[in-house]
Amino acid sequence: MIEAVNLTKVYHIPDKDPGVRGAVKALFRPRHTSKTAVKDVSFAIEPGEIVGYIGVNGAGKSTTIKMLTGILVPTGGQVRVLGRDPHRERVANARDIGVVFGQRSQLWWDLALRESLTMVGRIYEVDDARFQRLISEFSETLELKELLPIPIRNMSLGQKMRAELAATLIHEPRIVYLDEPTIGLDLLVKERIRAFIKRINQEKGTTVVLTTHDLGDIEELCRRVLIIDNGVLIYDGSLETIKQRFGKYREITFETAADLNGLDVPTGADVLEKGGRTLSLRFDRTQTSASRVSASIMSQIEVIDLSLKEPDLSMVVKQIYQGGLKETA
Amino acid sequence: MISTLKRDLRAYGAIVATVPKMFMAYSIWVWMSWFVQIIAVVILVAFWRAVFSNTATVGGLDLDTTINYLLLGMIFRAGQNTDVLYEIGEMMRDGRIGITLLRPLDMQATYYVINLANMGLNTLLSIPIALFAWLAYGLSLPNDPLVWLAFLVALLLGNAVMFCFDWIIGCVGFYSTEIWGLSVLRYGFGLFFSGALIPLDMMPDWLRTIASVLPFSQALYLPVSILAGINPVSAMPRIWLIQLGYLVVFLVASRLVFGRALRVVTVQGG
Ligand SMILES: Nc1ncnc2c1ncn2[C@@H]1O[C@H](COP(=O)(O)OP(=O)(O)OP(=O)(O)O)[C@@H](O)[C@H]1O
Ligand SMILES: [Mg+2]
Repeated sequence: MIEAVNLTKVYHIPDKDPGVRGAVKALFRPRHTSKTAVKDVSFAIEPGEIVGYIGVNGAGKSTTIKMLTGILVPTGGQVRVLGRDPHRERVANARDIGVVFGQRSQLWWDLALRESLTMVGRIYEVDDARFQRLISEFSETLELKELLPIPIRNMSLGQKMRAELAATLIHEPRIVYLDEPTIGLDLLVKERIRAFIKRINQEKGTTVVLTTHDLGDIEELCRRVLIIDNGVLIYDGSLETIKQRFGKYREITFETAADLNGLDVPTGADVLEKGGRTLSLRFDRTQTSASRVSASIMSQIEVIDLSLKEPDLSMVVKQIYQGGLKETA
Repeated sequence: MISTLKRDLRAYGAIVATVPKMFMAYSIWVWMSWFVQIIAVVILVAFWRAVFSNTATVGGLDLDTTINYLLLGMIFRAGQNTDVLYEIGEMMRDGRIGITLLRPLDMQATYYVINLANMGLNTLLSIPIALFAWLAYGLSLPNDPLVWLAFLVALLLGNAVMFCFDWIIGCVGFYSTEIWGLSVLRYGFGLFFSGALIPLDMMPDWLRTIASVLPFSQALYLPVSILAGINPVSAMPRIWLIQLGYLVVFLVASRLVFGRALRVVTVQGG
C-alpha cells in the first residue's frame, strides 16, 4: 500500500551573511549547505496497519511524511502509494489520503467549523447524504456538536485538533498520515483522539501512519513501529520485540542516609544517575536480580528508601534514542 | 465528461465561496480602503486639472476623457493587480503551501478562480468610489451594451494574461522563498506600464512601444480605453486577438515553469 525504497532527502540551505551586504552577496554568489534529513529509508506498509513513526526532534519524521504525501520530491529513492508516484500524480493521490500536520491547520481561520467542513466536503466531492452521515458520526465520536458554529480562530488547541481530524477524514481517505496529532493536548483529549483513530482503523480499515513524541499514543495504537535516527531508519518491527529486547533491563533507585562516595557498583548493573543522596542503577535481569543489587548497596551504605521501576516504553525508547540498538545489535 | 466538469465546478465553487467570507471578516479594512481611494480620486482630479490648465489636449486626449479614463482605471484596476504574488510569497514563507498541495485540485486553477473572485469582489467594492466620482466629477459611463461587452471580454482576457504572468514570477518563490523584492518591482512596473497612472496615449512613442509590448497594459489600458471611448469598439477584434496571443504564450510558459517549480518546493515547518 505504501512502499518506500531508499528514500533520501537532502535540503539545501542558502548561506547568508547578515545584513544588506550579505543579501546582495548571496544574490550573486549563492552558497549552500547541504543537510541530509532522510537517508536511504526503506519500508512497506500494508493496508489496515497503524504504524508508529518515532525518533527524536529533527530525526526526519516530518520530512518522510511530506515525501509520502507527495508534497516534497525525494532527492533519491522511490515512493509508491496505492501504486502511484504521489508527487507525479499528486491530485489523484490527494483524493485517497488525509493528512494532519499537528502544527498547522487546513481549516479556514475565519469560517465556522460547519462551513469549513462543508467546503472540504465539496472539494473532495463527498456526496451530500454521505456528508451528513459522517458529520453526525463525527459529532458523536469527536464531540464536535458544540464546535460546529464556532470559527476556528476562536477554538482552543484541543478543539482545533478534533476539528482538524474531522476535516481530514470527511472524505474517508484510505490512508491517513498524522504528524503529531496529540501535540500539546490534555490527557482527556488525547484519549478521545486515540479512541477515534482506533475506531476508524477498525471500522473502515483505514491505514494510519502516526508520528508522535507521546509514547502513550504508540502504546495504545501501534503494533508496529519505525524508528528513525538522524535520517536513518534504525528499527522496523513490532513494538513487542523491542520491549522484550530492552525489557530485560530494570531501573532501581536508592535514597541513602549519607552522601554517596566510593561506592562499588554491583556486577551486572550500571549507574544511570548519581547525585547527593540518590543513586539510580540499571541492571540486566538475566544476569542479576533486584534483591542481589539492593543487598549489595545496602551492605555498603544505609538505605532509607528504594524504588524499582517497571520497564515501560519510555525507558525502552530512551535507551534506543541513546544508542541502545547499536550496543545490543 | 460533463459530470466531471460539474463536480470540478462544485469544488472550485467552494473555494470561490471562501473569498467574500474572508472580506466580511475584516470589514474595517474595507472602510479604510474606501477612505484612501476617495482621497486618491480627489488628488488625481486636482493634478490633471493643473496639467491641463494651459493646454486643451495632451497626447490627443482632452481633460474630460483623461480624467474619465483614469477614474475608470481606478475602479477596474483589480484586473491588473492580481494578489497572486503576495499569496504565493506568504504561503511559501509559512509553509501553508503544503496544505494547498494536499488538496485534490490543480493549484494554478484554484488560484485562478480565487483571482477571479477577488477581481469581482474588488470591483463591487469600488461601487462607492464610482458613485463618489460620479457625484463629484460627473464620471461618465457608456450606454451601449456592446461597449460593455467588449470591455468585459478584454478585461477577462487581460486579467488571465496578468494572472499567468504573475504565476511565473510567483514560481520564483518556490526557489528562493523570498519574493518580496520582486513583487515590489512587479507592482511598480505594473502601476506605470499598465496605464493606471498615465494613459499610454500620452507617452512618447518609444515608451509607448515598450508599454504595449509588456503585458501590464493588457488588463488595464486595453479594456479601460474602450470604456472611456479612447478606442472604438471596431478596434476590438484586433485587440482580442493580440490578447489571445499573449494568453497562449503566458499560459504555456506558466504551466512549464510551475511544473518545474513543484519539483523543488520545500515545505517549511513540522
Ligand atoms: N525546509 C527545510 N530546509 C532545510 N532544512 C530542513 C527543512 N525542513 C527540515 N529540515 C532539517 O531536516 C531535519 C529533519 O527535519 P524534520 O522536520 O523532518 O524532523 P522531525 O523528525 O519531524 O522533527 P520534530 O520531531 O522536531 O518534528 C532537521 O535537521 C531539520 O533541521
Ligand atoms: Mg516533525
